[in-house]
Amino acid sequence: MSTDERQSDPPAAARTRPGLDPAVEAREAQLTEWMQAAQRGDADAYRQLLEAIQPMIRRIVRARIRDEAAADDVVQNALLSIHRGRRTYRAERPFGPWMRAITRNTIIDHFRERKRKGDREVELVVEQFADESARSAEAEAALAPELTMALSTLPESQRQAVTLVQIEGLSVAEAALRAGVSAGALKVRAHRGYRALAKLLEGARIGGEWRSERPTAARHSRGGEWR
Amino acid sequence: MTGGTERLIDGLVEDLEPAAPMIRVRQAFAVVLAVWAAVLGVVLWSQRHPAGATLLFTNGVYLTSFVGLMIAALAATLSALAAARPGRERLERIALGVSAGGLFVASGVCLVGLTGEGAQPSPPGADAMCLQMGAFLSLLPAGVVLSFLVRGWAGHPIRAALIGLVSAGALGGVTIHLSCDLIGPGHLLRGHVAIPLVLAVLGTYPAGLLIRRLRG
Repeated sequence: MSTDERQSDPPAAARTRPGLDPAVEAREAQLTEWMQAAQRGDADAYRQLLEAIQPMIRRIVRARIRDEAAADDVVQNALLSIHRGRRTYRAERPFGPWMRAITRNTIIDHFRERKRKGDREVELVVEQFADESARSAEAEAALAPELTMALSTLPESQRQAVTLVQIEGLSVAEAALRAGVSAGALKVRAHRGYRALAKLLEGARIGGEWRSERPTAARHSRGGEWR
Repeated sequence: MTGGTERLIDGLVEDLEPAAPMIRVRQAFAVVLAVWAAVLGVVLWSQRHPAGATLLFTNGVYLTSFVGLMIAALAATLSALAAARPGRERLERIALGVSAGGLFVASGVCLVGLTGEGAQPSPPGADAMCLQMGAFLSLLPAGVVLSFLVRGWAGHPIRAALIGLVSAGALGGVTIHLSCDLIGPGHLLRGHVAIPLVLAVLGTYPAGLLIRRLRG
């Protein structure tokens, strides 16, 4: 029997776990079936799987992370990790522990990253931008051309990261998927971009006023606010 | 479900491509061992009368350090392969502990041998030569282990690289152990047992970055 044939067998893991609650067993079997179909490229099964596991992941994450926005980011990172690591799942092993292991590691990564960066980097720079942009409508109006010019001087990877997160308003996980890099790499690129922009824009100010008096462009934000 | 998560799911579904499941840990383990056995076979065959293999049962320090190194190699290989699979953390941790134990035994017996009477000093340059040769012989197993790590889960590339290099280094150490006729405990420690440690120290960071880059 080939590996592929074995993979399409009914989920052995769900069949052979004595003492498991029948409802849990049935759910486990369903998730395994969807995952096997997803590994074969079945988009419908994959959507059902992701929609079914998303609340489970959210429950695990919310039990450890109170902040809703941070929890949302972790849920998305976990989904992204599941997507990237889908070939590491094998049907003879239960799906739940595999999914929980990825979620657990994503949560650990979140706390590790927060600890490492002191919960500062991206948030502070973004807040700084938010403060700058909120000072006055005039300042904000003059920011756009300067920002556009400053953006154009950034390296491609940093410009892409800043544009995806700040201008298109995507979440870090979505932006990472679009850019084809990990969420961590995207955050690093975006952070470097913010820092470079902060320097460039600082240089563009004269005595607290913006040099440019050209008319405003659309506000570069998600839902009207910097984030 | 938040709007962002909904959009992400749409994106993931759109991005879906068929992905054949990775082979089992035990199958990957067999592949690594087969590659290592091939390297070992070529080395021993090229020597005609492999010195180390014939000395194996004539010296306690030599035999014990061989057993320690072998345990370290097998367990680290298993641990590295498990590191690429979510949900196999227990296997990874246990195998890593066994591997550390093997290295401890291998280096400990050499250190004890160094304090004993009649410890032979190694000829000048012999330690470095074995170390370099062992590191070179580790390259192929390292490539195979790292290829499994690259294809596996993008969890902790630096940690995975560290375990992978200990695994490959220990396999290289065993190869050199069986092909070297110097049995002085100092030489065994610096020229054979040190291979996985040196590889891990020098190679972990670049290999981790490589894994991270190749995984995207």
